[in-house]
Amino acid sequence: MQISVYVALALLVLTAIGYLVGRRQAFVAAAGRPSELHSLPSYYGYYLALWTGVPALILLALYGLTGTSLVNTLAMGELEREAAPLIRAYDTQLAQDPDLSRLNDAIAQLEADAQVARSELDKARRDGGEVAAYQRSLGDLTVELNRLQGEISQVQDRIAASIAVRAPDNLAGDRARAGFEYWRATPDRRDLFLTDARALAFGEGFASRNSSALIAAGDAMRPWDEMFRWSSAGLAMAMALGGLTWMRRQITVTFRARNRLEGVVSFALFAMSGIAILTTLGIVLSLLFESIRFFAAIDWRIHEFLFGLQWSPQIAIRADQVGQTGAFGAVPLFAGTALITLVAMCVAVPVGLFAAIYLSEYASSRFRAIAKPVLEILAGVPTVVYGFFALLTVGPFIRDAAVLLGYEDAVTQSALSAGLVMGIMIIPFVSSLSDDVINAVPQSLRDGAYAMGATKSEAVRHVVLPAALPGIVGAILLAVSRAIGETMIVVMAAGQGANLTANPLESVTTITVQIVMLITGDQEFESAKTLSAFALALVLFALTLFLNIAALRVVERFRERYE
Amino acid sequence: MTAYEKLQAGASVRQETLYHPVEGSYTTKVATKNVTVHYGDKSALNGVSIEIPACTVTSFIGPSGCGKSTFLRSINRMNDTIDNARVSGSILIDGEEVNDRNVDPVVLRARVGMVFQKPNPFPKTIYENVAYGPRIHGLAADKDQLDAIVETSLRKAGLWDEVADRLDQPGTSLSGGQQQRLVIARAIAVNPEVILMDEPCSALDPIATARIEELIDELRENYTLIIVTHSMAQAARVSQMTAFFHLGSLVEYGPTEEIFTNPRDQRTQDYITGRFG
Repeated sequence: MQISVYVALALLVLTAIGYLVGRRQAFVAAAGRPSELHSLPSYYGYYLALWTGVPALILLALYGLTGTSLVNTLAMGELEREAAPLIRAYDTQLAQDPDLSRLNDAIAQLEADAQVARSELDKARRDGGEVAAYQRSLGDLTVELNRLQGEISQVQDRIAASIAVRAPDNLAGDRARAGFEYWRATPDRRDLFLTDARALAFGEGFASRNSSALIAAGDAMRPWDEMFRWSSAGLAMAMALGGLTWMRRQITVTFRARNRLEGVVSFALFAMSGIAILTTLGIVLSLLFESIRFFAAIDWRIHEFLFGLQWSPQIAIRADQVGQTGAFGAVPLFAGTALITLVAMCVAVPVGLFAAIYLSEYASSRFRAIAKPVLEILAGVPTVVYGFFALLTVGPFIRDAAVLLGYEDAVTQSALSAGLVMGIMIIPFVSSLSDDVINAVPQSLRDGAYAMGATKSEAVRHVVLPAALPGIVGAILLAVSRAIGETMIVVMAAGQGANLTANPLESVTTITVQIVMLITGDQEFESAKTLSAFALALVLFALTLFLNIAALRVVERFRERYE
Repeated sequence: MTAYEKLQAGASVRQETLYHPVEGSYTTKVATKNVTVHYGDKSALNGVSIEIPACTVTSFIGPSGCGKSTFLRSINRMNDTIDNARVSGSILIDGEEVNDRNVDPVVLRARVGMVFQKPNPFPKTIYENVAYGPRIHGLAADKDQLDAIVETSLRKAGLWDEVADRLDQPGTSLSGGQQQRLVIARAIAVNPEVILMDEPCSALDPIATARIEELIDELRENYTLIIVTHSMAQAARVSQMTAFFHLGSLVEYGPTEEIFTNPRDQRTQDYITGRFG
């Protein structure tokens, strides 16, 4: 086991000791009369325990987070310094090599050509002229450029190999070679190099290759690593003991341990809520930045994304492909989402609302005690099960029914089957929230209606529902945002074709389905196709955020009036 | 023969009557015999017999949980809306049995209006609040008639001058005292014979209370009022008859003056002088 684990265990023991010492010290300070103390003795114990354990544990955690990269940086810096002669020799060779200067000239020429071709293509686009020829020549230029760059790195590798063998065949030589290889590597390669070196030195996972240079690098890390472990362990223990003795001396009869502990508690609670909020913020920001990359990749034609009628991201798979821009018009997805949501709400709102009215106004308390949990079980069914149900039962049934009624083009994966099943899924959501707001309508209002001679349904229609209306609207809005964000049912039952249609018997696709399609499987994360998923997710997030805020505001206004 | 006399003559179970006959020409509006109410297994009211004169204010006093509200709610069968409430005994209004199977509670409640402890205007405009009863009972033939009913009711409740220019505002926008008068106007609008009030002033400030008390005194001219109150001063101020309830039983009933100056029962005296309650 690693030292840090032992240290953590030791710290826990010390913390427990801190508690006991604190309590004892409180008794000592009070000279055997605990009633003289400002706080209960255990508060002093807790406070001392906090000072013993928390700073040291924070230090350990910080080391855990940053230790590895610190060790890597220090060890590799050392090796790079030792590789300085190799690096100098390499730089001189590069400057003198005739092949390289020839290649660099050719690349400069090609880039100039590409620049011209690009501006001509833009001009042709603006004027509405023929663009295919320009696109083709631009594609050819890109291919040639890639080829030349490949040649350059081959030449560089050849030179580097000839330099590396100059280092002596001993430990010092291996260390220099390791530093040289690391210095030359691209950031990705550097990570791989470090991972492999650590794997060989510390047995963390498996190394992808093995070389004397890697072993030398791993060996170079070891002393640094050792030093950090022991020093952090020592420092943590010192902090724990220091905190213990220092705070122990602070404990007097008038020391306000209770109030100070209160401060610690409120800070801890604040920190937890901060984590929740910051995580959400982080997710939103990452969505935002990836979306910006997507919009950059489609040349900032945001209006085309938001209002374009054609969605076919598939043609933009390879970067060097001709006509690489694909069609990213998301309207069919928005329309599909809206259609399925509409169908779902047509099922969920009446059924859920009337069920809620029955449960809260008419049902006997015995029936209610059984029916309400049963209804809520519906909410616990995993959505993938609903997806099955939609795909295998409802879908074929609707298709057969449509064919029987004379609609020959009916398909199994239709907006109607996905919407119906999604509606069933949302029923408990609507009914449970509506039930809550209907129950929140004060009994005195119902009594008032009955005392005026209203029947039960009159009281419900005239008094209870109008009073609960804002809350019910809020519930429905929340249900809509749930329907828009729902994924599994539509992935299984709605189909993937981005049809722009209002016919619920056709197959449509939704924002969520497309995100799944774009991002699952082997995907290149640089292409506009994959990045478009982030832009879709951003739209989805904005939409549900707006709905949730609207719903919360409506519900809040309702609360103000009746509580 | 009054309804109460009829009842006494026909009753097989005789209870000691606690009713002191009042001098004067009152006719009986509500007469009950042996009314008992159970909530589940718990008995809330045991065998209350009382005779309430028409066009007077009768107040029910007594400590919390003594059954006075329960009794009030059984007069317009509001206890029907409580799942496990069981009412037995006889309640006659103008000699007609309230608990009879042929009596529609919905129609009964139009004849016996009720005002609650907390003002409970509906989530509607001031106008619609008052028009609600006439609408559901079909009392107005056209819009003009409805307007007239609304105005008359608001005038009777002493609210017209304050709300005439904002009838289309929500009833909840009024102050507590105004809301309570609005609710009284709503009850008057269906032209009831009896108005039950369950602690109508307990949520109001002294000024609003005084206003409602004045109103109660004015309403006495046309309606029979029964109010439940915790304020003995209020009972003394507004009512002509007072009934004292204790532990689910009617202890003493008689003219207010007599109850407050010369109570017959020791428990009544203790309660009135503040020795318990």
